[in-house]
Amino acid sequence: MMKKKLVIIGSGPSGIVCALNVYKSGIKAEDILIIEREDELGGTLNLCIHQGFGKNELTGTEMASELSALVKKNNIPYLVGTTVISITKEKIITAVSPTLGYTKIQADAIVLATGCRERSRGGLSIGGTRPAGIASAGTVQRFVNIEGYLPGKKTVIIGSTDIALIIARRLSLEGGQVLFVCDTRAKPQAHKTDISECLDYFGTPLKLRTTVTRIFGKERVEAIEIADLDKDGKLIKGTKQKIECDSLVYSCGFLPEIELMQEVGIEIKKLTHGPKTDKRLETNVDGIFACGNARIIHDDVEDVMADGKRAGKGVSDYLWFLNKRDRIREEER
Amino acid sequence: MAIKSYDVAIIGAGIVGTMTAFMIGKYKIKCAVLEAGIDVASGTTRANSAIIHAGYDAHEGSLKAKLNVRGSRLVGPIAKQLGVHYNKCGSLVIGYNEKDLEHLRLLLVRGKKNGVRGLEIIEQDRLREMEPNVSKDAKYALYAPSAGIVCPYDLAYAVSENSATNGVDYYFEYKVDKIDYNEVNKLYTISANDKTIKAKYVVNAAGLYSDEIAEILGDKLPFKIIPRRGEYMLLDKSEGKTANHTLFVTPSEKGKGILVSPTVDGNIIVGPNANVVESKADTGVTSEGLSEIAEGARSIVPDINLDAIITTFAGVRATPTSGDFYIRESEKFPKFVHAAGIESPGLAASPAIAEYIVNILRNSGLKFKEKEDYITTRTAEGNCKLFYDMSESEREKAIKKDPRYGKMVCRCEMVTEGDIVNAIRRPISAHTVDMVKRRTRAGMGRCQGGYCRAKVAEIIAKELNISVSEVKKFSSNSNILCGRTKRI
Ligand SMILES: Cc1cc2nc3c(=O)[nH]c(=O)nc-3n(C[C@H](O)[C@H](O)[C@H](O)COP(=O)(O)OP(=O)(O)OC[C@H]3O[C@@H](n4cnc5c(N)ncnc54)[C@H](O)[C@@H]3O)c2cc1C
Ligand SMILES: Cc1cc2nc3c(=O)[nH]c(=O)nc-3n(C[C@H](O)[C@H](O)[C@H](O)COP(=O)(O)OP(=O)(O)OC[C@H]3O[C@@H](n4cnc5c(N)ncnc54)[C@H](O)[C@@H]3O)c2cc1C
Repeated sequence: MMKKKLVIIGSGPSGIVCALNVYKSGIKAEDILIIEREDELGGTLNLCIHQGFGKNELTGTEMASELSALVKKNNIPYLVGTTVISITKEKIITAVSPTLGYTKIQADAIVLATGCRERSRGGLSIGGTRPAGIASAGTVQRFVNIEGYLPGKKTVIIGSTDIALIIARRLSLEGGQVLFVCDTRAKPQAHKTDISECLDYFGTPLKLRTTVTRIFGKERVEAIEIADLDKDGKLIKGTKQKIECDSLVYSCGFLPEIELMQEVGIEIKKLTHGPKTDKRLETNVDGIFACGNARIIHDDVEDVMADGKRAGKGVSDYLWFLNKRDRIREEER
Repeated sequence: MAIKSYDVAIIGAGIVGTMTAFMIGKYKIKCAVLEAGIDVASGTTRANSAIIHAGYDAHEGSLKAKLNVRGSRLVGPIAKQLGVHYNKCGSLVIGYNEKDLEHLRLLLVRGKKNGVRGLEIIEQDRLREMEPNVSKDAKYALYAPSAGIVCPYDLAYAVSENSATNGVDYYFEYKVDKIDYNEVNKLYTISANDKTIKAKYVVNAAGLYSDEIAEILGDKLPFKIIPRRGEYMLLDKSEGKTANHTLFVTPSEKGKGILVSPTVDGNIIVGPNANVVESKADTGVTSEGLSEIAEGARSIVPDINLDAIITTFAGVRATPTSGDFYIRESEKFPKFVHAAGIESPGLAASPAIAEYIVNILRNSGLKFKEKEDYITTRTAEGNCKLFYDMSESEREKAIKKDPRYGKMVCRCEMVTEGDIVNAIRRPISAHTVDMVKRRTRAGMGRCQGGYCRAKVAEIIAKELNISVSEVKKFSSNSNILCGRTKRI
C-alpha cells in the first residue's frame, strides 16, 4: 500500500493553497499527495472563463493554471482523473482511476478540499411537467463554456446568485435571449456591480418577489407560469402570467460536498451543511481536516484560499506533533 | 420489406407487458413487444410507490387479492435471478384510535383469508421500537412482514432485457393505432403509423390506454378507466433512517392514503395523494398536491425533514370503475387477451398476472415448448452489476478489465463511465439521458444531474457517434441542447 504523510482530496484553490503551505512549512514534497477527480488541477476555477478572480482580476482558468504551475514547480505529487470513494478513521483512502485501478493509500493526515455541489431544484417544488430544457447553472456552464452549446434560445433564469447572473451574461453574449432573471427574495443575492454588468448592460430585467409556479411542455419546455409574491412570500391573486420560453436555468445555491465525510463519522452542522471543525480546521475525526467550500460555502475565491492556508498550517502542526511523538517513542524504546 | 409475423404480440412495455414477455421468453415462441414510448416503463410503471404489497387490501375472492398474494411471493426470486434491488422490509399500517384498530382487525382477517402470512397487530411500545420516528399518537399497527420494496422500472428493465436476450423483439415508438383481424388466416395485423407486424395471439397490456386498444380492435371493455394521479416527493439519502418499514395510515374511502417508505436505493419516498385528472398523460405535479402530501407525511412522522426534497414526480393510476383487475380473452376476438384495469397492486401482482396471461394463451391453443438454450440472466454476460453494488474485489477486476470503470461520472451515486457504456450497449440500448439515468442512477442523487448531466450526454454522443446536441432527454423531440454558441 502506498504511504503518505498527507493526502489532500481536491485540487481547487483551497486544496492547492493548503498543499503549498504544508510544503513551505518544511514537509517534503514527496510526502504529500493531491488527488483530483477531474483530468486537470484547479477545481471549479476551470469552469469559470470570466474575469474576477483574486487581486489581479484573472479569469478562473488563468488562476487555475497559475496555481497548478506552482504545484508542478515544487514537484508536489498529484493524481488526476482519480476519484476517492472512501476514507476511514485509520486514514486509509480508497481511490479509483482508469490507469491506477482500485488503489488504497495510507496517510497520516487527510485534508478534504472537495468543494461543493449545486443544490437541486427539488426544493423549488414547481408544478407542471418535467420536459427537457431545464438545467442547473453548473450544467449550463459546462455545456456553454466547455462544450460550446446553448441550452435554449429563450431562457428564464431562476435565482439571483452570482452564478445565475454570470450565466445570464454568458448566454446573452453567446446569442441566446435571456427573458429575465427572477428570485422570490426582495433583494438580489448578488452584488450591485454584477447586476449592472450582467443584466442592465444587456437590458435583461430582474424580477424580484417573483416565483415560477408551473412548467409547461411535453418534450421540451414551451412556457412557464410566474406569479408575484407579497411581503410574506404569499402569492398575490390575479398576478399569474404565462410566459413562452424554451429553457429554464436554476441556481439554488451550493452545498458542501460531504459524501466522504458522512461515512467516516464526521459531524455535520445543520446550519452550514458542512463539517464541524476546530480552530485549525480539524474535524471531530483525529487527523482529518476540511477547508474551502467543502467546509463552508465562501463567496470569494480569496476567502477560499485563506481557508486553505489555515488548514495547511493546522495540518502541518499536526504532522510535526506526530513526528515528534514518534521520535520520542523511538528514543524511549 | 416483408411484414414480420409473430406467435404473440404484446402491446405495452409496462411491468405487465414485460413480465409476460419474460415468461414467454423461456419458450420456443416468437414474441414481439410493441411500445408507444421510447423505453420500457414509459407509463405508470415508472412512477408509483414501488411497494410489494403483502395482499391484505383487496377483497377476498377478487382477482386482485389472488394475484397480489401470489405475485408478492414471486417477486423475490425473480429479483434475485436478475439482480434487481428488492428488500423485504415489511409494512406497518398505523392506527391512532379505537376506530382505526377496528379497521386494522378487519384487514388482518381479510389478509389471513387471502393467504397472507405472518400478519399481526402490534401495540405502541413495539411500534416505537421498530419505528422510533413515528408519531407519538400512533397506538397500533398492522405489521405485514412479507411486504417489500423494489425498484419498479429496474424490475421492468431486468425482465425485458432477459426476454430480449432470449429472442423477444422490442419495438419502441410504436403507438398502435390500427388492429385488423383476418378470419381466414386467423392473423392479427397490428399497425402504428407506417409500421406493421402480424401475430396469432395478442396481449393488450397498454395500461391506462387498454380501453382505447380495445376500441381500436372493435371490442369494448365492460367498465371505464378513470385516470387518478398520485404525486410524490423524494428525500435525500441523508434522511434514509426516517423509516425502516413502509408506513401507511389506516385506509379511508379515498384509498390507501399517504405513505412514508424507504426505497431500495436508500432514499425516502413520500406520497401519493389521489386526484382524478382530465388527461391520462397528466403526470405534472401541483403545489397544492405537494402540500397535501407533506401534511399527510407529517401526520405519520411529525419531524420528517421535508427540506431534504431532491425531486418531485407523479404517476397516474388506471382505476377501473369495476374495482378489480380484468384479465381475459376477448369474447368477440379469439386469441386476443385484455389485461386491463391494472391499478395498484399491479406491480406486486405482476409476475402472477403474467402467469395468468400465459395460462389463458395456453388454454386457447398456444404451444409452450421450453428453449434448450435459455439464458437466465439479463444479458449473455450476466446481470450488469453496477460499480456501486460490486464488492471490493469485483471493483478491482472490473477496472482491470475495462478502465472506464475507474472513471467516476456521477459523484452522488458513484456511477462510472463503465456503467454508462454498459447501459448503452445492452440489448435494449439506453440511448437517452433519462434511459441512462434510470438504469445506472447517474443524475438521480442529491444534485440531480447538476454535475454529471453534461458528461452523460458526452458519453452517449461518443458511443452512438452523434453530436452532443443530438442527444435526447427522453423522447424524439426532447433534445437537451439547442444549437451551438457563437464562438464556434
Ligand atoms: C459559476 C461560478 C462563478 C464563480 N465566480 C467567482 C468569481 O467571480 N470570483 C471569485 O472569487 N470566486 C468565484 N467563484 C467561486 C470559486 O470558484 C470557488 O469558491 C472556489 O473554486 C472553491 O474552491 P475549493 O477549493 O473549495 O473547491 P473547488 O474549486 O470546487 O475544488 C474541489 C475539487 O475537489 C475535487 N474532488 C471532490 N471530491 C473528490 C473526490 N472524492 N476525489 C477526488 N477529487 C475530488 C473536485 O473535482 C474539485 O476539482 C465562482 C464559482 C462558480 C461555480
Ligand atoms: C400513484 C401510484 C401508486 C402505485 N403504487 C403501487 C404500489 O406501491 N405497488 C403496486 O404493486 N402497484 C402500485 N401502483 C400500480 C402499478 O404501478 C401499476 O399497476 C402497474 O405499473 C401497471 O403496469 P402496466 O404494465 O399495466 O401499465 P403501464 O406501466 O402504464 O404500461 C403500459 C404501457 O403501454 C404503452 N402503451 C399505451 N398505449 C399504447 C399503444 N397504443 N401502443 C403501444 N403501446 C402503448 C404505454 O406507453 C405504457 O408503457 C401504483 C400506481 C400509481 C399510479
